[in-house]
Amino acid sequence: MWSFVFRRFLVAIPTLLLISALIFGVIQLQPGGFLENMLDDPRVSRETVETIRKQYGLDQPAWVQYLNWLGKFAQGDFGYSFLNNRPVAGLIWERLGWTVFLALLTILATWAVAIPLGIYTALRRHGLGATVANFVGYFGLATPDFLVALLLIYAVLSSGGTNVGGLFSPQYIDAPWSWEKFKDMLAHLWIPLIVIGLDGTASIMRQMRANMLDVLTQDYIRTARSKGLAERVVLWKHAVRNAINPLISIAGLSLPNLISSTIIASIVLNLPTIGPFLYDSLLNKDQYVVMALLMFSAILLMIGNLLADLALAWADPRIRYE
Amino acid sequence: MTIRKALWLLGCMAMGLAMAQPKVVSGYENGKPGGTLTMALASAPQTMFYYGAIDSAIQTLANQMFDGLIEYNYKTYQIEPALAASWTITGESKVYTFKLRKGVKWSDGRDLTADDVVFTYTQIVANPEAKGGDAGNFAGVKIEKVDASTVRFTLPKPAPAFIHYMRLPIMPKHKLLPFSQEGGKKPGDINNAWPTTVDPNEVVGTGPFKLQSYTPGQKVTLVKNPNYWKRDADGTPLPYLDRLEFLIIPDSQARVAQFLAGNLGQLNITGSDFPSLKQREVQGAPIKVVQFRALFGSPPHLAFNYDDKNPELAALFRKTEFRRAIQSAVNRKRIIDDVYNGLAELPGNGVAPVSEWYYDTTKLLGTYDLAAANAALDKLGLKKGPDGIRLLPSGKPLEFTLTYGSNSSTFTAIATIIQNDLKAIGVKANLQGVLAANLLSTGRGKDWDAILLGFGDQPDPELRTPIWKPGGDLYYWHQSTQPITPGGQPQFSNFLPWEKEVYDLWEKAASTTNFTQRKALYDRWQAIFAREAMVIMIAKEFAVGAVSNRYGNYIYSLGVIPGYNPVPIMYQK
Repeated sequence: MWSFVFRRFLVAIPTLLLISALIFGVIQLQPGGFLENMLDDPRVSRETVETIRKQYGLDQPAWVQYLNWLGKFAQGDFGYSFLNNRPVAGLIWERLGWTVFLALLTILATWAVAIPLGIYTALRRHGLGATVANFVGYFGLATPDFLVALLLIYAVLSSGGTNVGGLFSPQYIDAPWSWEKFKDMLAHLWIPLIVIGLDGTASIMRQMRANMLDVLTQDYIRTARSKGLAERVVLWKHAVRNAINPLISIAGLSLPNLISSTIIASIVLNLPTIGPFLYDSLLNKDQYVVMALLMFSAILLMIGNLLADLALAWADPRIRYE
Repeated sequence: MTIRKALWLLGCMAMGLAMAQPKVVSGYENGKPGGTLTMALASAPQTMFYYGAIDSAIQTLANQMFDGLIEYNYKTYQIEPALAASWTITGESKVYTFKLRKGVKWSDGRDLTADDVVFTYTQIVANPEAKGGDAGNFAGVKIEKVDASTVRFTLPKPAPAFIHYMRLPIMPKHKLLPFSQEGGKKPGDINNAWPTTVDPNEVVGTGPFKLQSYTPGQKVTLVKNPNYWKRDADGTPLPYLDRLEFLIIPDSQARVAQFLAGNLGQLNITGSDFPSLKQREVQGAPIKVVQFRALFGSPPHLAFNYDDKNPELAALFRKTEFRRAIQSAVNRKRIIDDVYNGLAELPGNGVAPVSEWYYDTTKLLGTYDLAAANAALDKLGLKKGPDGIRLLPSGKPLEFTLTYGSNSSTFTAIATIIQNDLKAIGVKANLQGVLAANLLSTGRGKDWDAILLGFGDQPDPELRTPIWKPGGDLYYWHQSTQPITPGGQPQFSNFLPWEKEVYDLWEKAASTTNFTQRKALYDRWQAIFAREAMVIMIAKEFAVGAVSNRYGNYIYSLGVIPGYNPVPIMYQK
């Protein structure tokens, strides 16, 4: 088991190196650059830009810049944000709290809704409830995040509500925690949960449903039933446990979504997550911020995969690493 | 209390009043103190130090926290005293001497002195490595302290518009010295002053508000500066408002939604948001949508590359007759009606129509007339081919790319309208969208044929010298006039005759100090600009703002323009 984890780590290193080179290369290929954009302002002369270019070491050959960045990254120094005149790490850290909170909450809510619904629609394939759930599922898959967000905002506005974005009303954003602030947050939270979660809920529900339908026709289910086991035991102990297995690997893949999946929803709903920050940095070509966030995304994907594999081994006795 | 003691006290108070020199703002309703106003920022501030970045968020915030030596009148845009109570211009407009307002204190209670002004201009503004500085305009300028409340700027050559640079915010020396060269640091280290994690008490200004807190990516809160130096007509200290909050909302739709929900008190909008908001106002929502003819703002223009890579196109683009023919195909009325929802006017040529420098070029702009445009192109010998596209002398079709800012709904719509009308006169324009932020770098490159771009208007034409003077740094449509080495002489041999004339007018205007004479020179330039269709100006957008009825004394807030800040007179009803 531990040797498996160790081997996975070893394999991850060259993969991450390759990814880092790709990320760096793509950023270098972008036309213009942060400093070029500065020239848009008539106050900035070409000489000023050259001075600043030297100051940041951007006048060196690309491979020197790459090695410098990589070396520092490995030591935990994620570089410097040109835009903010500050180290990247602090900037990411500031925005991490709400990002993780929202992502975990959404994943939790998604699973809590999707799995029972998936099981339900598989068992009552032709009932009214299943049809409605399926319809909502299709709708959730087909509508883009931002559209759902705009529809919800419109609905709130036309019913006279004021919670049309963000996680708090303006007066609570920088207020200390209180019961009132918590209630205010709950009044805001349902919109992002629906917007970010709808997509995932629909797809997990449909997968759970398909898995269940698969499993229910298997021989061992028939065997269990013919042994005279109670339907409850057959369903929960045998069918659901096996049907849920493939979803565990999906759960692992959802980790990097922490960074990238909420970009558009966060912009439209004005959520204080990493997403808009990444978007803004991309537009402004703030290269070290972008590279750090993309690297994190890759690392999270690897960690997520590893966790999924371990969870699978735990859940499925047929998988063993020894 | 004895009478003598009372008299003594009264005397002291009179002395105090005589020493302080508050500026009285009159001509507006007297408001009542108190209240909070919430506004929006389109992006998170990158720093709390105005000169540390070119960033519209900190520029908006700095407008509330700092002042310049001069400022603009809210109605006329004329220069008025701010931190400088008075000034003299001597030595043929080369020596500017400013007397500081008495009794102005920083928000931490320290006195504003000439040292702060000298420090700001020598250590920050004229520092070429300060990212938000303005070193170019202060090259060779001698800045010195005459006495504790007098500062003198000595220019190497006359510059009649120099006074406008004096609206740049003055910074506290006692807080920023440790980041400066004078304090023993490298020139670039000034950019590290006041990062967004700074302790708010360190950010000290003379403006109406001071920093209270910043919640990353979400909100900036400012509170009233009790030491502010303005009063209303009744002598009540300004600002009226106790707090100013800025919510960080990148998406424009989300900003409108937050405004409609009542979470924002004021919002600057564009012509495209106007109908929905105006409709709500008419339906009785407690808001007011207000429009102003704008001085600032960037009117779009259509430019042709006089140095196009394709020599045939370059030769054509240099012909005034061609550009005027194209101008006849630009349907300004339709653009104003459809793209700006009527909230724009015919443009000036390099000068906003509302400016005192404006010369009426309406007649010279030509009218939308496709038949006339067709006839003019026929006259240039550009015959139509079998598919309706005109042919160049070489027999190739008259076809070029039109580059525009794809993430601006305004520019996209204008580009499409122009493309359509050009097609009707047998000219094929292929649209090429680039990010609006990259438009100017594209223009300053060589790889483009025609471009749709906007440059900001300023209160004095001289402030736009690099744009409109042939050979200037931003005279991008005719790059072969630009100097070979930076700072060198323009390449006069590549000037077109009328460009030489414009160049001479600008040279002369830059050393003329008499307003009437300068105005005559710039009038002449505007006429040439319009007649030659140097670039084709499209329209000048109005400034549109929306405000909740809870607030009084609302004047459109320009946001990023230093020296223009009407927020102190706003009050909550």
